[in-house]
Amino acid sequence: MAIARPSQSSTSQFLKRLRRSLPWYPFIIVNIVVFVVFNLVPWISMFRFSVLETDLLSTREFIGMGHFVNMLTDAKLHKALLNTVWFTIMYIPLLVALSLGAAVLVNRPLRGMMAFRSLYFLPNITSVAVLALVFRRFFSPRPDGPINFLIGLVGIPPQKWLIDVNQAMPSIVGISLWEAFGYFMVIWLAGLQGIPNELYDAAKVDGANGWRLHRYVTIPLLRPTAAFIIVIATIGGLQVFGSIYILTGGGPVNATTTVVYHIYNEAINFGHFGYASALSILFFIMILIVALIQSKYLRFGEDVY
Amino acid sequence: MSEASGSIEKPNPIRETIIYIIMVTVAVTTVGPFLIMLSVSFTENIRFIIFPVKLIPEPFTLENFQTLFRNTNALRWLFNSVYVALISTLGGVITSSMAGYAFARGDFWGKNVIFTLFLGILMMPDTALIVPQFVVLSRLDLVNTYTALIGPWFASIFGTFLMRQAYLSIPRDYDDAATIDGANLWQNWWNVLMPQVKPAMATLAVLRFMGNWNSFFYPMIVTTKSDMRTLTVGLGTVARAGGDAGLDMAGAVVGFLPTLLVFILMQRYIIRGISLSGVKG
Repeated sequence: MAIARPSQSSTSQFLKRLRRSLPWYPFIIVNIVVFVVFNLVPWISMFRFSVLETDLLSTREFIGMGHFVNMLTDAKLHKALLNTVWFTIMYIPLLVALSLGAAVLVNRPLRGMMAFRSLYFLPNITSVAVLALVFRRFFSPRPDGPINFLIGLVGIPPQKWLIDVNQAMPSIVGISLWEAFGYFMVIWLAGLQGIPNELYDAAKVDGANGWRLHRYVTIPLLRPTAAFIIVIATIGGLQVFGSIYILTGGGPVNATTTVVYHIYNEAINFGHFGYASALSILFFIMILIVALIQSKYLRFGEDVY
Repeated sequence: MSEASGSIEKPNPIRETIIYIIMVTVAVTTVGPFLIMLSVSFTENIRFIIFPVKLIPEPFTLENFQTLFRNTNALRWLFNSVYVALISTLGGVITSSMAGYAFARGDFWGKNVIFTLFLGILMMPDTALIVPQFVVLSRLDLVNTYTALIGPWFASIFGTFLMRQAYLSIPRDYDDAATIDGANLWQNWWNVLMPQVKPAMATLAVLRFMGNWNSFFYPMIVTTKSDMRTLTVGLGTVARAGGDAGLDMAGAVVGFLPTLLVFILMQRYIIRGISLSGVKG
C-alpha cells in the first residue's frame, strides 16, 4: 500500500490538472487544426516525397537519396543558387542604406514629415501584381520607354533591362528596393525613436557633438534594429518570387531563375514533385543556416544598455 | 523624437534646402509611377507608355476599364479577393484573440510545448513549404477551393503572439473580479478582456487584410482555374499576357485602389503593427 500511494496521488493529480486544462483547449483548437493541416502534414509530406520519384498521378517510385545526389549535377540549380546569392548581395546593402537614409530624412520634428513617411511607404502597400504591371511598362526596352527616357536625360543610351541577361537581375533588385525601403524605414524609425533623449543630453554634457553624437550614441543603440532588419530582409529577399514570375519568368536564359523559382518550375511546370520536395528541404536548410550565421555574427537581440 | 544635433547647431538654410530637395525627389519616385498608372488607365488607345507622358489624359476615357471587365475575369477575381480577404481576416483575428487569451491566462497541459512549437513555425520561411502544401491539398482534393485559399489564414501565429502580449498587459484583477461575479472563461474573454484589446485586434486585422489581399505565390499555386483566382493572381496573368498598356494600367488601378483605401483609413494601425513586429522581433 505504501508503494501504491504515490502513484495513486500522482494519477489523481494528473486528473485534476487535466480537468483544469480541458476548458482551455477549445480556445486553441482552431489554431491546432490549421497548424496540423497546413504545416505539420506538409512538413511530413515534404520529407516523404523527397525520397520518391512522383508526378502525383501515375509514377511513384522510391529512389532514396537519389534526388539529393542529382542536385550535385543539376546545372540549373547551381545557376539558381548563384542567382539567389547575386540578388541578395545587391539587395541587402542597398536596402539597409536606403531605408536608413529615408528614416534619418523623415525623423525630424518638422511640419509635413508624416506626409513624407506615408508617401515613402506607399509602394509597400500594393501587391506584386500591380508592381509588375506598372514596372513591366517602365522597364520597356523601347528608347522612348519611361526609364530609358529618364536615363537619356543624363546622356545614358537606352538599355534592354528585363530582357538583357546582365540587366534583368539588377532590374528586379531595383523594383524590390523601391517596394521594400518604406517598410524598413518604419522599423528604423521605431528604433531611432526608441533611443532615450537623456542619452543624447548626457553625451552632449560629455562634449560630444554632431557626428560624434551619432557615432557614440545613435549607431551603437541602433545595433539590434540593424541586426533585426538584416536578418528579416535576407530571409525575405531569399524568398522573392512574384516579381520574377511575372516580369521575367526566370529568364532571359535563366538569368533570374532563383532557388524558389526553380522549385516552382520543377513542381508545377515539370510535375517533378519528388525533386521539388527535396529542393524545398535544401532551401529550408539554406535559410536556416543563413539566419543562424547572421544571428550569431550580428549578435541579434543582445542587450545594449 | 530623437532630434539630437539640431537643438544646438543653428539650422543651415542651404543644408535644409538640399535635404528638402532630396526628400521631394524620393517622394516623386515613390508616387510618380502610381500617378502615371492612373493617368494611362484613362487614356485612349495606348499600347505603350511613352515618355514624356501627359498626366491629364485627353480625351478622358473609361474604355480600358470596360475592356478589362469584359475581356478578363477581373470582376470574378475582385469578388474572390474581397471574399477571401474578409473571411481570412475575420477568422484569423478571432482565432488569434482566442488563442492569445489561452496562452496569456490559461493553465493547461501542453501549453509550453505548443507555444514553443508555434514559435518555431513563426521562424520558418513559408515559401519553402508551398510545394508540399500543394501536394497535401491536391491529395485532399482541395485545389481550386475557397477552403484552400482561406485555410492557412484562419489562424495566425504572429497574431496569437500579438494578442497574447495584449492580454498580458491587462491586470489580473479584471479576471478575478469577473470570476467572483460568476463569469466563465468565455464570458471573461468576450465581455471583460476583449474590449480592452481592441487596438491590438484592429492592428492585426489590418495587417492580415493587407497580407492576404497582396499574397501571390500561395494563391497562385492552389488555384488553376481562372474562376478561382484572386485579383492579385489574375492580374499576374494579365501582366504576362502582354496586352495594351492601357489595359494593364486599368488592371493595376483596380488592384491598387482597395489597398490604398485601407491604407488611408488605417495607416496608424499599419505603422503600429510594423513597429511592433520590428521592435519586439
